[in-house]
Amino acid sequence: MKTIELVGLDQNVYYEKLDNGLAVYLIPYQNKSNYTMHYLTKYGSIQTTFVPYGEKEMITVPDGIAHFLEHKMFEQEDGVDPFTFAAKTGTYSNASTNFECTRYYFEGNQSFPENLNYLLDFVGSPYFTDENVEKEKGIIAEEIKQYDDEVDWFFDEELKKALLQKDHHRVDIAGTVESIYQITKEDLYRTYNTFYQPSNMFLIISGDFQPEEALRIIQNNETLKKAKSNFKIQVLEEEEPLEVNEKKKEFQFNVVNTKVGYGIKIPLHQVKDRYLFNLYVGLMLNIKFGLASTFREMLKQENLMTSFYLEREITGDYLLISFKADSEKPEELIEKIKKELADITVEEKEIERLKKVWISSEVMMIDNISMTLDNIVSDIIEYGELIPNKIEIFRSFNLKDYYKTLSKIDFTNSSTIIIRPKKEA
Amino acid sequence: MNYQKIDMTSFQLHVIKTNRFKTVNIRVCLRDEIQKEEITLRNMLASFLTYATDTYPTKRELVLKAQDLYAVNVYTKSYRSGRFNMMNFCMSLLNERYTEKGMLEESIRLLADVIFHPNFQKEEEFEQAFHFLYESIESSMKAMKENPTTYSVIRMLEEMDSDMPYGYREFGYLEDLEKLTKENLMSYYQKILKNSLVDIYVIGNVEAKEIEKLFQKYFSFTTLKRPKVNQLIEHEKLPLRSKKIIEQEESNQSKLSIGCKIGKLTEFERNYVLTVYNMILGGNSESKFFQIIREKHSLAYYVYSSLNKLDSLMIIKAGISKENFEKTVRLVKKLMKDMIKGNFTEKDIEVVKENYLSLLKEIEDNENAIIETYLAKDLLNLGDIEERKKEIMRVTKEDIIEVAKKVKMDTIFLLEGVLQNENN
Repeated sequence: MKTIELVGLDQNVYYEKLDNGLAVYLIPYQNKSNYTMHYLTKYGSIQTTFVPYGEKEMITVPDGIAHFLEHKMFEQEDGVDPFTFAAKTGTYSNASTNFECTRYYFEGNQSFPENLNYLLDFVGSPYFTDENVEKEKGIIAEEIKQYDDEVDWFFDEELKKALLQKDHHRVDIAGTVESIYQITKEDLYRTYNTFYQPSNMFLIISGDFQPEEALRIIQNNETLKKAKSNFKIQVLEEEEPLEVNEKKKEFQFNVVNTKVGYGIKIPLHQVKDRYLFNLYVGLMLNIKFGLASTFREMLKQENLMTSFYLEREITGDYLLISFKADSEKPEELIEKIKKELADITVEEKEIERLKKVWISSEVMMIDNISMTLDNIVSDIIEYGELIPNKIEIFRSFNLKDYYKTLSKIDFTNSSTIIIRPKKEA
Repeated sequence: MNYQKIDMTSFQLHVIKTNRFKTVNIRVCLRDEIQKEEITLRNMLASFLTYATDTYPTKRELVLKAQDLYAVNVYTKSYRSGRFNMMNFCMSLLNERYTEKGMLEESIRLLADVIFHPNFQKEEEFEQAFHFLYESIESSMKAMKENPTTYSVIRMLEEMDSDMPYGYREFGYLEDLEKLTKENLMSYYQKILKNSLVDIYVIGNVEAKEIEKLFQKYFSFTTLKRPKVNQLIEHEKLPLRSKKIIEQEESNQSKLSIGCKIGKLTEFERNYVLTVYNMILGGNSESKFFQIIREKHSLAYYVYSSLNKLDSLMIIKAGISKENFEKTVRLVKKLMKDMIKGNFTEKDIEVVKENYLSLLKEIEDNENAIIETYLAKDLLNLGDIEERKKEIMRVTKEDIIEVAKKVKMDTIFLLEGVLQNENN
């Protein structure tokens, strides 16, 4: 096992790659009572056109299949479902699907060896029948409908649809009621066999456990030994154009306050270090628009919003920035944002202050086994590997690199969406 | 872990020393009797106090100060618990070992500033904060229906009894907001400081002596009158049959909320038997509700029950399609009846007990959850972790059946999703 030190955090991560290609990250703590183990495949809702395992031609599967598959993995041939197995020892089990990955996890404080083996076994043993696939459709349709009622969900989705033309991030993770009704048992097996091979997966455990013991269990797990692996995955990657899909779009929804979203699309093709690039953009946004910004004070003084926040997300080869607000004067607000973005000047002391804040947050986070694990998972998914020296990177922030990074960015490549209350009929 | 309770005359200081965390967490907990017409004031005051202070009269200045103290986090949590109004001021900071000496004192001073030096003095700054918070609260009140799951429960509890504390809206009321002025905010602030029972909890790798000294220096309450009412709400009469209310709302899904009243219980029943009962019936994904209503019959995406112990209420929530309404309610009733009939196994009880023990262990890694256990000890006379481990094992099937008989369905509320003109 390779030891990776999380610099400045008094914490090590142990890394091992098995012969079948499975990557294992172990984060044992000295002072905790619980553990959390996550088994992930780098397969999420965006990969729908691919060459299935053992075949030669590309196929396209219905939208929402990754999420459907996640639900169906809980169906086991022996009839015992993993929730029940886990609950016997008071362990919490669940799973989730996002754009880039699907994860299955157990969180508990008892029966570590049994639970770890079981996690590997159940994710390694699909059991789909026509009947159990049909049954699931009703449940997932209800889940989709529930999200359809939530304005924040609608808002996020429409902003992505406005920014992106082709990239599958514009499609809802769960698909649509129509698309999921097309899913068949065969689709599920083909997808599973392609993306649930150990070489496309990783296992990560954090909390109270012994790394040597964990590794021994993983190496001796029979299901994992028998798993098909090392089939080269080919996924159709459509080039996402630089231009946004729609510059401006308005909607009506069952809301009382007008909501406005302003999204910016920044290409990353030429960026060498995407992590550092994203951090510098974050630094600028924080200084210019964060809780301690003069911009925010001005918005409040001029009654331009009642809530205002920002998000950043890497989707394929683009960094998307979204400003979201509740505002009765949406056009005016957006003009102010644009104007503020035209001048990226910051002061050295502002960078110094944020350094301190970010370093502190990193130390606070390491106390929490789940947050630490999540943080490492997003490193792996977004940047391909664990980033162990974040505190050092934060310390290295400087004005020169700030301007070098920021001055090249075009912040005008944008989409606006406005959601207004429905007029009474 | 070492726990010490120090009597500081006007408040109780609870220090929990542990080396498990790199942070220090502080919670200043104020309790007084809840009044319906004060909820909006309370929400406004809680936001107002953490928005700015007399020393840092704008949000920006207060945030900058917090950032300088290594991103110390200050926030309030207000809620109702039984007949009490709970106002918590929380702070979380890094242990000085990871920052620099003096930061603990500086942070406690900032917390004192938030509580004792409100932004009432500077007219312009006050107006600005007041205006912004007013608008924010107003818009979130108006947006209440945008979260149909919560809204359905609020409406259900109102239909149950809008004059009882559990029927009060936690968001407050628009008509009360409109009446808000600087004067009544100020007098409410004075009242809260004078009439509340105050407990302060500190957890982290800290020395009780030092903590005591710092709170002595910066904190002084002048509590005159303490709440005399009993926090626990008990139902004099249990319903013979339930009432049904249906309201329509434009949405895809329908939200079902069912309120059940619980009869008089012993402390052991309330603290332990009721917990086991609820976990078997609807507390998690292993429960009867989830396994039968969702898994077996595919009637709901989610269906859970939860307890408001201090209100003597159990609340059932489900997300369903409207055509499944009657069927779902029938199943819920049947499953509740099954509990009375004893149609559950020793195995079910065993699994729940395992779950409970595991939940207790989960608390050990979470500072806030540890504070809550000490708070619950005060509020419910619930034992500490070790005591709870022992007590839960005493719960028997007969105990559960006895408790099951005292849970009566009172109000069934359906927020029915209807889709109107799709074209706009």
